Amino acid sequence: MDFGAPHAGFVIAAYAVSAAVLAALLVATLAQDRLKRRELQDLDSVRHEERR
Amino acid sequence: MQQFANPTRFLKLANAALPAVWAITAALFAVGLYGALVSAPADYQQGETVRIMFVHVPAAWLALMVYTVMALASIVAIIFRHPLADVAAKTAAPIGAAFCFLALVTGSLWGKPMWGAWWVWDARLTSMFVLLLLYLGYIAIWRAIDQPQRAAMIARIVALAGFINIPIVKFSVDWWNSLHQPASVLRLGGPSIAFSMLWPLLVMGLAYTFLFLALHLVSMRTEIAARKIRQLRIARIGER
Repeated sequence: MDFGAPHAGFVIAAYAVSAAVLAALLVATLAQDRLKRRELQDLDSVRHEERR
Repeated sequence: MQQFANPTRFLKLANAALPAVWAITAALFAVGLYGALVSAPADYQQGETVRIMFVHVPAAWLALMVYTVMALASIVAIIFRHPLADVAAKTAAPIGAAFCFLALVTGSLWGKPMWGAWWVWDARLTSMFVLLLLYLGYIAIWRAIDQPQRAAMIARIVALAGFINIPIVKFSVDWWNSLHQPASVLRLGGPSIAFSMLWPLLVMGLAYTFLFLALHLVSMRTEIAARKIRQLRIARIGER
């Protein structure tokens, strides 16, 4: 990749936007998964304690 | 196939498969990006701008593929009442919307230096924009309707009705005059691009596919947890 070539800025912008959107999707997906699984664990433990 | 309909069994399988899927995704991106940015030559007409193809085309392929997955899952949900089919369709939509958005934005960034315009209302671009609206509409249905059964029923119909747009996107460049170039990889007679550019494109396509697979498995796991939380909360209210 020649960064001095004409229109190189468009190439860099395309890769930067792709990386940003995919990274945001990845982080949001993993964060949501962690949140819900923790919430489920907490609810399960509360239920077990109530049954005792 | 029915045996995988059990969410517990699905979760076991997904949790076992995910480390390998993530590892394959990372390896494919490393090889694909090397091919796209280092190994592939500049085009004799487009120069370095052709490298946008390696992020634009896989995003467009996945935008179409993910909607097809949603439509197939919706058919399975209607016919077989498969408990995971609605989960699969619902969780695929935001990922597909992201790919569709990327296809439009990177296409615009490719169009400006090549066509002299960020956007034109031609058949391929317009049908791709309609696909993004279909994704957003589908996501809105799940968010707007509180009753899951009712939301699922309407979402299935929207997914199936919207599927008519997929062949329109694919064949728009053949059916109408378009600024967009015709298919050069998935076409009768085989790919028309040089192997030095074809292999990074195919590897990037596989990388995007495995990324979708990984994100989809995690999202399905999250949705199953969310549904269990809802059930537990309703049960607790009932006990009181």
